[in-house]
Amino acid sequence: MENGLFSFLQQFETRHLVLAASAIAAGLAMIAGIGPGIGQGYAAGKGAEAVSYNPKNGKNITMVMLLGAAVAETSGILALVVALILLFANPAIGLEGSAIVLIASVIGAGFSMIAGIGPGVGQGYAAGKSVEGVGKRPDLQGNVVRVMFLGQAVAQTTGIYALIISLLLLFANPLLRLL
Amino acid sequence: MEFAPRVIFRIFGLPITETVTVTWIIMVVLIIFAYYGGKSLKKKPGTFQIIIELIVDGVNGLTKSTMGEEKISFAPYMGTLALFLALANLIGLLSFRPPTADLNTTFALSIMTFIATQYFGLRSRGLGYLKGFAQPFVFLLPLNIIGEIANPISLSFRLFGNIVGGLIIMNLVYSVMPIIVPILPHIYFDVFAGLLQTFIFVMLSMVFISGAMDD
Repeated sequence: MENGLFSFLQQFETRHLVLAASAIAAGLAMIAGIGPGIGQGYAAGKGAEAVSYNPKNGKNITMVMLLGAAVAETSGILALVVALILLFANPAIGLEGSAIVLIASVIGAGFSMIAGIGPGVGQGYAAGKSVEGVGKRPDLQGNVVRVMFLGQAVAQTTGIYALIISLLLLFANPLLRLL
Repeated sequence: MEFAPRVIFRIFGLPITETVTVTWIIMVVLIIFAYYGGKSLKKKPGTFQIIIELIVDGVNGLTKSTMGEEKISFAPYMGTLALFLALANLIGLLSFRPPTADLNTTFALSIMTFIATQYFGLRSRGLGYLKGFAQPFVFLLPLNIIGEIANPISLSFRLFGNIVGGLIIMNLVYSVMPIIVPILPHIYFDVFAGLLQTFIFVMLSMVFISGAMDD
């Protein structure tokens, strides 16, 4: 590793490396936005389909679509929160310790939020199917929406785990204690 | 920017944070609400009594349809949980710090659900409940136990993550544009997300407890 990555990184100060890593991590975290995008698009498509065969209940269908899509947005918001913490309230800046571990932790915190793609797509799928169901059976709207919310909440779980790891890496990094 | 709850004062060196003081405010509001709500019930209800009857009927109906007719005795706990969480999540509108934006609050509540799940599962099904962890195969036992322990963790972090996320974004919005603009994010993060997370926390608690008691 004479002229490798490590010797390249050694020419910078630790603080500067952490700042650069934070920038990369903030960008990486926002990749999670792919998930809600696909999911909400699916919900919107199903909404348009449902309105086409049940135009009378257009208002209810739109409401269910908006509710479902709003929940599908959660992973995007959690990713945004991590990105904003990295940009405006980064706890890793000014920490003492090995530069390579610090920058890896910061990038890892951003990386983990990419898991949000899954919940975003899944919750959007649930929203789309609920909209379809409400279009077919408007009288069951209450039951459909209840099951949708419950299922979406469970679908969020892996995204929440990603958030736990991300916040752990930033605020209570156990790896820094092993140095 | 600092997101941790501020320490308001200390009792014998014990820090009392914003979370605790705001919880006290909610407790006072709920106690007064419950006292006057149950004090003078009339045959011909006034507006206040109609609102209370709507809440009680709603909680009873939700408990019956989610947990089953015979578990209606859980309705008071679920109703209390729902009222506390709704107030706690909505109190951000009055520029207080929501107590649910503190992991201590949400984890305490999810531990209560977890203990209730284990207790009522054991009480109603006895050893059959413990045997359920070795289903469908014995070698899935560790996986089932991890899954069971993951329930309160994801339950508490779901509520905490959503509320603290809203709190951080609202802080940013206020620091950039302090007037008029925050109205719309308030409606989404405090009213919509707050009430939705209340509903989800209560519903999941019901599903976990009745799931452990049935089958």
